[in-house]
Amino acid sequence: MSPCYLRFWGVRGSYPAPFATHMRTGGNTSCVEVRCADHVLIVDAGTGIIPLGARLVEQDAVREVAILVTHYHWDHISGLPFFEPAFTPSWTLRFFGPGNTEMEVAEALSEQMRAPYFPVETETWLADVHYLHAKDGTIEHGPIRVTPFHVHHPGTTFGFRIEVAGHTVVYVSDNELLFLDAPIDQRLEESDLDTGEHELLVQMKEEAKRASLQPFLDADILIHDSQYTREDYARKRGWGHSCYIDTVNCAIDARVGQLYLYHLDPSYPDTQVDALHREAQEIIRRRGSALRCEVAREGLVIPL
Amino acid sequence: MVVVVDDSAAAISQYEASVRSLEVDIQAFRSADDAYAYLRENPADLLFLDIVMPKKDGFTLLRELRALPEQREMPVVVVTSKDYAQDRALARDLGAREFLLKPLRSREIRSLIERYTGAQLRPISEDGDP
Repeated sequence: MSPCYLRFWGVRGSYPAPFATHMRTGGNTSCVEVRCADHVLIVDAGTGIIPLGARLVEQDAVREVAILVTHYHWDHISGLPFFEPAFTPSWTLRFFGPGNTEMEVAEALSEQMRAPYFPVETETWLADVHYLHAKDGTIEHGPIRVTPFHVHHPGTTFGFRIEVAGHTVVYVSDNELLFLDAPIDQRLEESDLDTGEHELLVQMKEEAKRASLQPFLDADILIHDSQYTREDYARKRGWGHSCYIDTVNCAIDARVGQLYLYHLDPSYPDTQVDALHREAQEIIRRRGSALRCEVAREGLVIPL
Repeated sequence: MVVVVDDSAAAISQYEASVRSLEVDIQAFRSADDAYAYLRENPADLLFLDIVMPKKDGFTLLRELRALPEQREMPVVVVTSKDYAQDRALARDLGAREFLLKPLRSREIRSLIERYTGAQLRPISEDGDP
């Protein structure tokens, strides 16, 4: 295996989906491993981090991992209470997540392990636990460089732009892409706008579009929220997730090389995920784009 | 003094255009860090605060500001495209007076400034401009 790779350990959003009809895609919630030689960066700690932890304690080369958490919703932290390296002496864990202080991050991560929710608290962890800080807006873990940015999801939620082995990987598990346009469009239709204010609103719309694409621009790999069909998005607008059609169009507009449809709805069986993928390919063909698009499937390894 | 924090240049231009007719000064910043550096040293009568910004978001800035004794009571109007119930609740918990959806119209900006600062219309100058 290449010394640098990316591996999907959990690709579902919201809750685990351990159903026979879902296994080709996978049932674990968000977790991606980025490895470069002996440096391991884990993005999100959904249930996918459980088998990853079991794999890590079986080997000797690595005893330190960085764990970046986009936010603290259950599907992004619920594997942490079962992450074996945390309960193993000689391991070092370095966490990063939303919060003004180390204490806030520590509390957000440990709250789910307190009574009455869980029998074993983080105080029982045997690993050395540290917290990472973004210096000048970036985090460094060995040769891996990460720039967090804010996305559209309830509460403070990060996306990560990851530079590794000459590749740019952008990870955005939860992001509602369509949230931006509608309010500006409504304002532009108001009849009493003077020319100056109309021009400013048009500029605001262009700026909002540019700002929403900026973190993805020219990424080699984009791993992005593709949770809903158009019909489900219509019912769940404002829940903080994207329709896969908007994700594909955004990736094309941002000149992304390879898109992985990620954070898939746990109610969608493999056959439905296949149908989303086919439609995504059709959109790319219709737009004449060179974008490559795959479904993020559990166990998929991408050499870097 | 009215302070604006928004990463959109067009939004800042709109705030600046909106207050020309009012007797009030405005200080605008496109990053939360720059706004914090200013507000740590200077009082403000009102803060218009965007939430989604590239490096530090508006909620993080607001938490930092509320930790400063002199900024605990500063009126804050959150103006954002991030319209989630949890964000409204968080803004309320951090003492924001209003939570409004982007973009505001100029008349709304003027009305908010008048309400929170008591600013009056600027006298008309001889050449007719306010």
